[in-house]
Parts: sequence; structure tokens; C-alpha cells
Amino acid sequence: MKQKPKILVIDDDVDLVAVMKGTLESKPYEVIAAYNGKEGLEKAKKEKPDLILLDIMMPVMDGFNFAEQFGKDPSLAKIPVLALTSFSESLGQPFPFQVAEYLRKPLKPKELIAKVEEHLKRGGSQT
Amino acid sequence: MALKIDNVIPKEQPAREHTPEERALVLRLGVYVNMRWLIVLMIVSATLISSRVFHIGFSTLPVYIICAIIASYNLIFVRQARSLQTGEVGQVIKRAQTSGNIQIVLDLLMLTALMHFTGGIENPFVFFYLAHTIAASILLPQRRAYALATLAVLAITLLVLLEYYGVIPHVNLVGFVLDTRYKDTSRVVAVLVALATLVYGCTYVITAVSGELRRRQKEMVKLRDQVLEKRTMELEQVSSEVVKLEQERRSFVRFLGVVAHDLQSPLIATQSFLSYILDGFTGPITDGQKDLLERGVRRIDGLLTLITDLLDIPRIEAGQITREMREISLNEVVKRSLEGLDNVAKQKELTLKVELPESSPKIIGASRRLQQVVTNLASNAINYTNEGMVLVRVFDNEKDVRVEVMDSGIGILPEDLPRLFNDFFRGSNVGSKGTGLGLSISKRIVEAHGGKIWAESPDPETKKGSRFTFTIPKKQTAVS
Repeated sequence: MKQKPKILVIDDDVDLVAVMKGTLESKPYEVIAAYNGKEGLEKAKKEKPDLILLDIMMPVMDGFNFAEQFGKDPSLAKIPVLALTSFSESLGQPFPFQVAEYLRKPLKPKELIAKVEEHLKRGGSQT
Repeated sequence: MALKIDNVIPKEQPAREHTPEERALVLRLGVYVNMRWLIVLMIVSATLISSRVFHIGFSTLPVYIICAIIASYNLIFVRQARSLQTGEVGQVIKRAQTSGNIQIVLDLLMLTALMHFTGGIENPFVFFYLAHTIAASILLPQRRAYALATLAVLAITLLVLLEYYGVIPHVNLVGFVLDTRYKDTSRVVAVLVALATLVYGCTYVITAVSGELRRRQKEMVKLRDQVLEKRTMELEQVSSEVVKLEQERRSFVRFLGVVAHDLQSPLIATQSFLSYILDGFTGPITDGQKDLLERGVRRIDGLLTLITDLLDIPRIEAGQITREMREISLNEVVKRSLEGLDNVAKQKELTLKVELPESSPKIIGASRRLQQVVTNLASNAINYTNEGMVLVRVFDNEKDVRVEVMDSGIGILPEDLPRLFNDFFRGSNVGSKGTGLGLSISKRIVEAHGGKIWAESPDPETKKGSRFTFTIPKKQTAVS
């Protein structure tokens, strides 16, 4: 790999973002953090990350709104999105665009890394 | 003003539908027109019989000519009556009454002419003036009925007087009455008075009755409109209440979402810190630290599940499931429910077997919710079975689908069976695992789909462990 894969973490929980950032940066990943959907969308457009970790329930713009806006932008549509939810939040709510996988919160650091690796590989083999 | 109101309020009956009053008037006019054919026939046969059978002497030609005139104008009125039945609404009453008026005047003239050529006052058919009076009283408003009654009385009086004074020649009915009758003053006066009395009497009685009838019809229509208006208002009120309730329901569900999020967020963050340390990201830890951190993680897990379960119940009861329903494949639901459980079963050296029907039944349901039910039943089965197997079977029946989860585990005590699906119930033989809400939530989910869920222990087939079954009807009836 020439460059560190970029991962965009979108979550309103500052502490959780810190832990995820720490976890992912222990591997050769560059982590960009956003604390709401709006900020996430802006950073996604600017940074063109290789993968997005998206929290579903957030203030300002929640994960669903984010996904809707996100899906409209063809330059972003190929980026795999892993949705992070606690069970009760996301039940039965269909996403307006393809989410690569739903991950149930809380996620153990090792599981998080495994999932990120898996989807980065999958995305890489597709292009 | 009236015009403005008319413009604002749409007409109750937009096209080609008559009010009861109009319908009745048109019907009566039709009867009157049809009756005229009968009258013509009667006059012709009466003339034939009196001249041929009774050999009463009078000239029959004028009678037949009058009959021909009546018949020809009746042709016009028949056509007019038909056009009134399908004609434009609104003008119907006016047009029908004008037509009735003209018809009666014409008939009176014809009758007077007929009387003249058939003996005048000598002819007992002179009382036929009553027929027109009755028709006028039925068809027309009171004033016009009286006007026509007066016209009838005047016409016959004039005829009789003109003959009496010899202004016009008198036609005697030879062989029927004496030729002097029309000059018999007391008789002439008596007949005229009797006729006039009858004519006015009939007009009075009939206009009173038909006026009352018309009034009632109008009242009926008014009442009907009032009832309709009230119904419409009630309906609007109910629908606005429904909208309000739906808004309340939505804000309640949204509130629950926020509560769940806010309660779980700190726990999830804390959980992540513990896991971060546990997984060695902050450096090596001792076995004692590891044990305590693991216990902490487990306790937080339990609390997260409890919060999810507790907030699930009011969501289900607020009817959230119905909103999530769409056509789904049950096989797919079951497959997805068991995805994570394979490993758990393997760790306990249990066999997890699935039997799905090839027909792959489709149902209307909330996919994730039904997954929740199957996952719950299957993970219970795995939890409470130490050796043997757990079998999940799906049956595609004619009216419903049935899912069975069977295990060879510790089973359920008979005294626990009835309370199994109650909130916070934990089996007496299973310790304090779980929140005690899993089965009660499953029951709510299944029932929200119009289905049933029950448990049997031991399993009636294997005589071991227990069997949980739920059914979902294929055709959803309205679920409240």
C-alpha cells in the first residue's frame, strides 16, 4: 500500500470517537473524525475517505439524513459505509442507500479492526 | 348574497338527479298525460255506445274532431313529460307547472266544447270538470289551482248561460233528456251550484293535502341535509383526532429513541474504554485486572440489553411494528436470525439444525422484528441445552406459516409454563440469566403480526427438552 487508508469516523460521542481513533490509529490508518452528519458529509466530500464508520443517531444531521445526502453524490457512493447502531435505534428502518454492514454497538476494538480490514479489502478487490 | 352563497357551496346534487319534490311532480304530470289517452278512449266509446246502442240523437262528428285535437296535443305533452324526466335540474318544477297549467287550460276548453256539442247542461258528464280541478290541485300551487277552478266554473257557467239565453244554439241529446232541460232555470242553477261547490271543495281539500305533502317533502330533504352535514362534521372531527393521535404516537416513539440513545451512549462509551484496555491497547494488564474488566463489560452488556428491551415494549405497543411491515421471505428471516448463533452452538458442542420449506413462503411482516423473535428463541434454546441439538423448522401452511424451535435441553417446569411469556419472568430452573423480557417481547411481536406463540415441555415429538412454536397468518387482517 502506497498510502495509509483514510477512515472517516462520524459519531456524536466524543469519547467514543477518541477510542475508535486510538484503536484504528494503532494500525496504519489515517482517521478523520466528524461529530455530526453535516460535518461528516463535508469531510467525506473533501477528504474522499476509503471507508466511513457512521453512527445512526446523532444531532444536527442523523445517520439516515446523512445517508440520503451521501447517496446523491456519485463521487461518494462507492465508499463503503459501516453503520454503527445500538439495536433499538435502527430496528426496521430501511436505509435510503446501501450500507455495507450494520455493526452493533458496543464494538470491541479487535472486532472493529477486523471489520474495517475486511471491508477495505473487499472495496479494494472491487475496483 | 344568495348568489354568493350558491357559488361558495357546491350544489348537493350535481347532475341529473331530482329532489323528491321534483320527482313526485314529474311523476304526477306523467300520470295526468297518460290519463288523457284513457279519457279520449272513454269519450270515443261513450259516444259510440250512446249513439249506436242507445240511439241517442246528436251529431258525433264534432266529438270525434275534439278527440283528435286532444290526442294530437297530448302527443306533444307526452314528449315533454319524457324530457322533464331527464331534463336539467333546477328548472324542473317551474317547467312542469307551466306545462301542467297549459294542459289543464286546454283540457277545460276542450271539455267545454265537448259539452256544447253533447247537450250542455243535459249531459251528466258535466261533472268531469271535477277531474281538471283535481289535476290542478295536485300539480299546481294553491293559488293557481283556485284560479283554474274558477276558470272551470266560469267556462261551464258561460256555456250554460249562452245556451240558456239562446246566444249560441243548444244541441239536444235526442231520446236522452227532454229538450227543455237547458231552459229549466231552477235545474240549471242547482247543477251549476252543485258543480261549483264540488269544484271549490275538491280544490280546497286536495291543495291542503298536497301542500302538506310538499311541505313534508321539503322538511325531509332539509333533515337529510342536516344529518349529512352533521355526519361530515363528525367525520372531520374524528379524522383530525386520528391525525393528532398519530402525531402523538410519533413523538412518543421519537422520545423513546432519544431516551434509548441517551441512556445507552455513556454505557457504550464506557464499554469501549474497558474493551480498549482489555484488548491491550493501553499496554499489558494483569490477569486480575483482566477478570475485573471482563466482569465490567458483561455487566454493561446486561444493562444495554435491559435498556433495549425495556424501551422496545412501549415501541411495540405504540404500533411501531405495523409501520415496519412489508413483504418478506420467512426463510431469509430465519437464516439471518441464526447467523451469529452457529458459533455459540459450536462452542457448546451442540448441533444447530435448520429445516426450511422449499416453497420459501412470503409473508407481510417486520423483518428485523421477526428476526429478533427467532434469535431470541434459538439463543434461549442454545443457552438452556447442554448436550444434543437445537432444531429450527419452518412450515408453509395454507393459511399461515409456522416456526418451531426445539431443543433437547433442561426443559421448562410445568408450573412455569403458564407464566413463561410474562414480563420479567425467569424460569425457576435457569438462575438469573437474561432480562426476563425476551419472551414477553417475542410474544408482543408475534401478536402484532396477528399470530400466536406458545411453548411445550417436553417436546411432544422427542419427549425431551422443550419446543417453542409461533405462527404468522399469511393474510394480515387489520392489526391494531
